[in-house]
Amino acid sequence: MNDMQRRDILKAGAVLGGAVALGKLAAGSAVLAGETEAKAGAPAVLERVKPAPGEDVHIRMQRELVRAMKKPLAERRWGMVIDTRKCVGCHSCTVGCVMENKLPPGVVYRPVIDMESGAYPNVGRKFLPRPCMQCENPPCVPVCPVKATWKRADGIIVIDYDACIGCRYCITACPYQARTYDFGQNFSQNAASGKDGGLALDTGRKYEKEPSFEYGSTWTRGEGLLPKSPVGNARKCTFCAHRLEHYQLPMCVSTCIGRSTFFGDMNDPKSLVAGLVARNNAVLLKGELGTAPKVFYLV
Amino acid sequence: MSEESKTQGMSRRAALGACAALAGGAALGVLGGCANRKGLDGTAPGPYPMAEAENIIHTSCLQCNTQCTLKVKVQDGLVVKIDGNPYSPMTVHPNLPYDTPPAEAVAVDGAICPKGQAGVQTLYDPYRVRKVLKRTGPRGANRWKSIPFDQAIKEICDGGKLFADIGEDREIAGFNSVVALRDAALAKQLAADVGAIRKGEMTVDEFKAKNAAHLGKLLDSDHPDLGPKNNQFVLQGGRISPDRDVITKRFTFGTLGSVNWFGHTTICEQAHHVAFMYSLAQWQEKDDKFSWAKGPNHMKPDYTQSEFVIFWGTGFNEANFGPTPMSPRVSQAITDGKLKIAVIDPRLSKSAAKGWWLPVHPGGNLALALAMIQWIIAGKRYDEAFLRNANKAAAKAGGEKSWSNATWLVNTATGKFLRAADAGVGTANQFVALVNGVPVAVDPSDEKKSVVGDLDVAGSVKGVEVASSFRMLKDAAAAKSFEEYARIAGLEPGEIEKLAREFTAHGKKAAIDFYRGPIKTTYGYYSAQAIILLNFLIGNVDHVGGFMKGGGAWDGSGGKPDQPFPVGKMHPGALAHFGVKLTREASGPYETSTLFKRDGYPAKRPWFPFTDDVYQEIIPAANAGYPYPIKILWLHYGTPALAAPAGHLQIKMLKDTAKFPLFIATDVVIGETSMYADYIFPDLSYLERWSNPLGTSPVVLSQISKFRQPAAAPVPEVVTVDGEEMPISIESVMISVAKRLGLSGFGKDAFGPGQGLNRPEDFHLKMVANLAAGNKAGDEAPEADDAELELLRKARRHLPKAVFDEQKWQAAVGPLWRRVVYLLNRGGRFEKASGAYDEGFAKHAYGNQLNIYVEPVAGGKHSVQGKRLSGVPVYEEMESFDGKPVAFPAEYEFEMITYKDIHGGQSRTSGNYAGHLAIMPENFVFLNELDASRLKLTDGDVVRLESPGFGGSFEIGSGQAPARVEGKLRVTQGLRPGVVSVSWHYGHWAYGARDVEIDGQRIPGEPVRGKGLVTNAASAVDGYLKDVCLTDPIAGDSAFTGSRVKLVKVASSKGPRAPLAGWVPAGWASR
Amino acid sequence: MNASFLENLRHGDRARLLKGLWLLALAVGALGLFQRLFYGDQAAGFGSYVPWGLWVAAYTYFSGLAAGAFLLAAGIRVFNIRALEPIAKLCLFASFITLALGLITIGLDLGHMERALLVLLRPQFHSMMAWMVWLYTAYLILLVLLLRRSLRPGPAGSDDAGKTPGLMLAGIPLVIGFAGGVGALFGTVAAREYWHSSLFPVFFLAGALTSGAALVTALTAWLWPGRDEAWKEMVQLLGRIVLGLVLLECVLEFAEFTIPAWYGVGSGFELVWYVLFGPYWYVFWIFHLGLGVAVPLYLLARRPEPKDVGLAAALVTVMFFAVRLNLVIPGLIVPELRGLEQAYTDPVGGKLSFAYLPSLFEWQILIGVVAVGVALWLAGTKRFPNVFPSPSQSSEVKS
Ligand SMILES: Nc1nc2c(c(=O)[nH]1)N[C@H]1C(S)=C(S)[C@@H](COP(=O)(O)OP(=O)(O)OC[C@H]3O[C@@H](n4cnc5c(=O)[nH]c(N)nc54)[C@H](O)[C@@H]3O)O[C@H]1N2
Ligand SMILES: Nc1nc2c(c(=O)[nH]1)N[C@H]1C(S)=C(S)[C@@H](COP(=O)(O)OP(=O)(O)OC[C@H]3O[C@@H](n4cnc5c(=O)[nH]c(N)nc54)[C@H](O)[C@@H]3O)O[C@H]1N2
Ligand code: SF4
Ligand code: SF4
Ligand code: SF4
Ligand code: SF4
Ligand code: SF4
Ligand SMILES: [Mo]
Repeated sequence: MNDMQRRDILKAGAVLGGAVALGKLAAGSAVLAGETEAKAGAPAVLERVKPAPGEDVHIRMQRELVRAMKKPLAERRWGMVIDTRKCVGCHSCTVGCVMENKLPPGVVYRPVIDMESGAYPNVGRKFLPRPCMQCENPPCVPVCPVKATWKRADGIIVIDYDACIGCRYCITACPYQARTYDFGQNFSQNAASGKDGGLALDTGRKYEKEPSFEYGSTWTRGEGLLPKSPVGNARKCTFCAHRLEHYQLPMCVSTCIGRSTFFGDMNDPKSLVAGLVARNNAVLLKGELGTAPKVFYLV
Repeated sequence: MSEESKTQGMSRRAALGACAALAGGAALGVLGGCANRKGLDGTAPGPYPMAEAENIIHTSCLQCNTQCTLKVKVQDGLVVKIDGNPYSPMTVHPNLPYDTPPAEAVAVDGAICPKGQAGVQTLYDPYRVRKVLKRTGPRGANRWKSIPFDQAIKEICDGGKLFADIGEDREIAGFNSVVALRDAALAKQLAADVGAIRKGEMTVDEFKAKNAAHLGKLLDSDHPDLGPKNNQFVLQGGRISPDRDVITKRFTFGTLGSVNWFGHTTICEQAHHVAFMYSLAQWQEKDDKFSWAKGPNHMKPDYTQSEFVIFWGTGFNEANFGPTPMSPRVSQAITDGKLKIAVIDPRLSKSAAKGWWLPVHPGGNLALALAMIQWIIAGKRYDEAFLRNANKAAAKAGGEKSWSNATWLVNTATGKFLRAADAGVGTANQFVALVNGVPVAVDPSDEKKSVVGDLDVAGSVKGVEVASSFRMLKDAAAAKSFEEYARIAGLEPGEIEKLAREFTAHGKKAAIDFYRGPIKTTYGYYSAQAIILLNFLIGNVDHVGGFMKGGGAWDGSGGKPDQPFPVGKMHPGALAHFGVKLTREASGPYETSTLFKRDGYPAKRPWFPFTDDVYQEIIPAANAGYPYPIKILWLHYGTPALAAPAGHLQIKMLKDTAKFPLFIATDVVIGETSMYADYIFPDLSYLERWSNPLGTSPVVLSQISKFRQPAAAPVPEVVTVDGEEMPISIESVMISVAKRLGLSGFGKDAFGPGQGLNRPEDFHLKMVANLAAGNKAGDEAPEADDAELELLRKARRHLPKAVFDEQKWQAAVGPLWRRVVYLLNRGGRFEKASGAYDEGFAKHAYGNQLNIYVEPVAGGKHSVQGKRLSGVPVYEEMESFDGKPVAFPAEYEFEMITYKDIHGGQSRTSGNYAGHLAIMPENFVFLNELDASRLKLTDGDVVRLESPGFGGSFEIGSGQAPARVEGKLRVTQGLRPGVVSVSWHYGHWAYGARDVEIDGQRIPGEPVRGKGLVTNAASAVDGYLKDVCLTDPIAGDSAFTGSRVKLVKVASSKGPRAPLAGWVPAGWASR
Repeated sequence: MNASFLENLRHGDRARLLKGLWLLALAVGALGLFQRLFYGDQAAGFGSYVPWGLWVAAYTYFSGLAAGAFLLAAGIRVFNIRALEPIAKLCLFASFITLALGLITIGLDLGHMERALLVLLRPQFHSMMAWMVWLYTAYLILLVLLLRRSLRPGPAGSDDAGKTPGLMLAGIPLVIGFAGGVGALFGTVAAREYWHSSLFPVFFLAGALTSGAALVTALTAWLWPGRDEAWKEMVQLLGRIVLGLVLLECVLEFAEFTIPAWYGVGSGFELVWYVLFGPYWYVFWIFHLGLGVAVPLYLLARRPEPKDVGLAAALVTVMFFAVRLNLVIPGLIVPELRGLEQAYTDPVGGKLSFAYLPSLFEWQILIGVVAVGVALWLAGTKRFPNVFPSPSQSSEVKS
């Protein structure tokens, strides 16, 4: 559907259904002009930067991403590899994801667990980032009473925020606790509020009202009698599907300062991830459950 | 529907809404059946403005001082996301080619740390100050009114009974009366005469006679060397450099004629810097005179090529300089199996977790370093050939870039080097080494006549007892036995030997990185020097895999001959600033001052000729009125009451309006120290403002220059200064004050005829233009084409004219505009990463003198004890200025250490809900399980930290609950027994954590912002001064290590926790 | 307010007091409802890691009561227990009200109540929850039909259930389905070790029977209009049924608790230990085992007076809520991955915590729901006075 058509529908809806309510909806999802135009092709930057030994793995993965995006959806199989030896436990992925997806307090897609082992002076400390495993056999999917969550063609488990009734059954069903619930909270909600005066009480919270772009849509959260999704919904890591379409790596990958998180198309035998998962130090979390995660860990 | 929303991008939500409306209700809308689900299905890209170059501005982070290069993303006019700049090797390594068009580079997001990611919440903090606040109650009562900017400027300039309305009947001196000396020519003359007094070329009486007419402009006519009354203005900068040091120095020195400009480095890591600067000082000729010119203040291991790196009291993943550029390099090298690391830290940091952990005793770092030196020298595991090279020619001949003074002879009686003239072998500006026992003149920078000296020698030359620098070091390191050192360090002798062996087993491909951990003691300078010397001993400087000075930067100050804007020189009418600084730092030796003639030893308060930025001493000195009382304190971007050890003592001082008659602050919030100010001026955050050009730590080996430029529309009020609209910031305050007083350096013709400084960018953009011009002819940056010019405008369409006015920006730099735009669009200038190496060496090599023996320090004296200082590191223990050892009653059984968490940025991230607070809402008191079980303490108990003279809490102001040094206990295995460690960044009693009143309205604080504790108040106080923390007499560094505390349980942990169950990955089982 | 004061209250005062309490509960509930409707679940004590709390437990509790009450009625009919025939309508009516309360509670628990219908419009029949909704819906329709027939005043309604054996029989599998199904809803979740047990459906079914029978018993004992001998025997019979069911429940519970915990290792053991000796030990020992089992057993074991039966049954009914809480909550309080509780937190609302204690707001809603139940009861019994047979009818049965 192009912009024109969409606008037409919008207009028709406005006329028939009452402009006020709609105006609200549309204003809520405001983004800067022209930004919905689909990009014509892959960004040329990756053509300028020729593959070279010692290049930042980010560049390599982004090049592979462009390659994968040229294939039909169903032929891609996204996978992630996390090298726990390299993970430095910085939480940059966690926070990067929160900021990217404008997650409210209480919602987190990729916490990083910090674990101590051993006894002084022989002590270890290990770090375990935990995104959604994007299970091949996702226990979170069949429990949903309204089919609001499913595995799409490229293997990403998505949630349809417009259908989810917020029963939280899927949250209980995920063995990795990768799903959390949007209670409609905002980070600034306990801070002093009011009009701008001596302090920036109002300006200081406007950013929280900005829409996010998960699943290639604009989402303006809102509390109230009819909560605006994703408020009132289960939420989880999306593998940054909205970024992939713009040839950008998932945020937790691009901001990984330990360069310990790798992402790519497992169906591409030349991809970095395809090579990594074949190593004998690759393991799965709770592999015994048969969920068949598409997130692998190197230990 | 508004025009705006019509042009807004359509979305699935809107389509859904339309369907809902069509159906006449929400009922059908919820079916979701008519939604545009392409995004959800992955069949077509959805909206994503963040991938458009026109929504991007590149600038620099300042959530911590690593100052990484950023890519800031704007949505609906607001900054919503921050990532790393792909043009920069700090955030993508190797970086993208500099000539990549921004529209293409936009696809790549660089990596930044969690603080960087959370930065949006620093910018948009509801507790940010927007207007000038003037107090309406006693200092610290946190009652304020907002007043117009102009009124505030008028009041601080003109002074008067500014607080008569709240019953303070005192006359306050404003800038107008403090800036007593305004005649540039006179200032120059007085400065020269004072210089003569200090050199002993003029007596005070002669001075008085000569300058009789001007004595009223001086602080004290009996002590003219203290300088003019202008020095009663004090700018106490916290994080001021490298950020806005250039412009604030211009203001303080040249415009106001005060010497009192300070940064905060002594609460940071000054001993590290000072030790480097002296260890790398060069014997230089300037105006026919030779002297030691301090060298660079930093070197770092070449992590990517090194085989063995010791992180000593620092890491690559928590603080240092800093995780963003270091983690990827170090992690990669470790996993590739190329690099092995050891981490010396009492605590199992996230970095120590990646290597060989050596849990040193906090008091044992110097001992450990000396033990290693002793072992290396005894076993001859140093690079002898390298150390014997006594000058540049020798280095060249030996295939090295640098040389050392290891073979130079020291006069053991005076501590000075023997001069060739005294040995009868050369001039007074040359040194002496023995070559096969024969004294030979050494000219360090001689490129032709090579001197390869004898290393381990002592004897007498012409009746003077001498020893080589190397021998001096060897002797100093022999002060205690290896075993004794090991005992002090708290490590097995065998383990130290293993460490030293490993360190010397990789040739030049080994290095030691260190930072705050080992040096925050009263002997921190020596510890730092000892660790630097360990590096020098293996001759690793400049070698691939060795120790590097970094890629350096382009000169932003315009110091290079072909650069367009030498901003320092472009200050007609600048006052000469002279006199003794309030902290007696960088003010020459005490012994040459007139105060020495009056007081002799011990000095009333110590002098610090070898260092500067002695931050913890500023307020106590002013409080003591030594060397003189002050009139105006301007605190900028600092919070000494919170951040300095024993800084809480300064609260009481600041409340004294007689000692601090006018106290103003520039801050982004009402902070822990600015809350005691009379006026708080809002400042722009790092995402809204300019900075001067910034370099980078030696982690980056290619050349890089970056800066801050406005990425967000200003949160503070926009005001009009002399017809120019701009947001309130430190710049607008300086411009306003200078203009109101009619002083030089700001306003019309500030830089010279026709070149005014009326707006922040008039100054800062000139420095960007210098970068664009390059360091020499032919080094210019490319010119932006029309598309890039258009991009510049588009990307700034959310900025008000008060910030972005293309004409004004262009006018500030003139014909260089297009080149400047090229830099602005990329956030700096970046050499390609392959510019790091050159035939086995760093391409940007240091290639200069290394000092095993530091003559300038050895030539100095301790101003309180009168004893001579040492040119090589000597073993010392914690002591007060009077030399008394620091001792603690036995009940204070725990060594207290502190550290930085990766998610915390000093004291300024506690408003970052998504980063700082969510990762850890409060910090903990860490204790080893052995200690905990001995004291019957359990995880989660609340404990109070007490130290001698400190009962665990302190008053912050009338009507406010005291601040408590209490926190939850966390029992761990990853900490040396006998030590408690507490991270920094928590324990706020302001910064939005507590209620304030503004304009009669109570504004509630948010308690979560004030959770946890800060240990600084429990730090030991100097026994001689009694009002400031223990301090290193050489580097002026404050002691964060060496204090002992006891733990008092105040509450039990809240009940049993949920079963400690949960799945653990195989092989990760904990105990 | 002490007990003697209460005792001294005249009957009218007591009624007024109860009415006052009821109105207060309604008001409290209304406040909660307002909060719920406009601010969502922010004030709830449950969060993202313990996503189900008091309300879900209450829902299982109410739906159990509904199922139990119906099964009692069905049992009376199927096994032709003439002595209990008079309470059949009461059973159905009680089932209706408790089911309504259960559905209100779970409805309020949804993030998007306005989309609740989607479960019917785009169901996923693999989901136990979808099944629940379908079974409830079917049952509700059936129940409404049953009630319509039996409660409609007039001759047609004077004898009710007898004319609807088909409907009644059809109800049995539905009710067994949803009562056991609620157990299956939890039991099928493989991720939750505490729940993932084949015994769960049986356990839930038995629980439903026990609590539902106890509810009807209590109602009969307390509110039956006539206090004749027939009533007394009826109550005593009911008391014996409750006794038997409580004992059966105890056996099942013993199995449920001991099997995973027997050898003292494993996370199942730790969880059982947590329930028994953790911070909320009193929920099990005092509310459930003490007040919900021991005291009722003591009261019922002798040949009890109706008021004893009434008290015992009321205790069983009310305290059964503790059983439901102990089935739902402990399944959620353990991180699936160790250390998750500290990996990332919610500094604003504490929603990323594994410690759960129902908040005031949750209690508010629950109190309001119960008050609505009372209102429904009052309205229902007023509108359909023949929920209780007239005293004469009840004697008739006896004769
Ligand atoms: N995350 C983060 N990074 C930062 C900053 C920040 O605020 N946050 N600030 C920047 C600034 S300004 C600075 S100065 C640097 C400082 O960088 P660092 O010096 O690396 O940081 P610190 O955490 O202060 O101290 C380092 C380590 O010293 C250890 N330590 C404490 N006492 C001792 C001791 O007696 N001996 C030894 N061997 N180790 C000891 C601590 O446990 C800690 O792990 O960080 C910069 N980077
Ligand atoms: N216990 C303990 N104490 C420490 C350390 C430690 O590791 N442990 N580290 C030490 C080190 S290395 C350092 S460098 C110091 C730094 O310590 P601080 O001086 O506390 O550090 P900053 O975070 O730079 O900020 C100081 C204050 O400036 C204000 N501010 C923040 N942003 C801005 C701005 O953009 N503009 C203006 N005008 N003001 C602003 C805020 O009020 C803030 O609290 O702390 C030292 N103190
Ligand atoms: S990790 Fe959890 S949420 Fe993600 S697909 Fe698997 S079961 Fe579903
Ligand atoms: S919370 Fe939403 S996605 Fe999850 S099971 Fe319920 S309806 Fe489905
Ligand atoms: S892939 Fe995207 S959504 Fe998932 S954890 Fe990473 S950043 Fe978050
Ligand atoms: S950003 Fe990378 S290194 Fe940091 S915690 Fe996440 S996965 Fe680990
Ligand atoms: S290390 Fe992090 S906080 Fe520090 S400057 Fe870099 S991105 Fe910013
Ligand atoms: Mo620092």
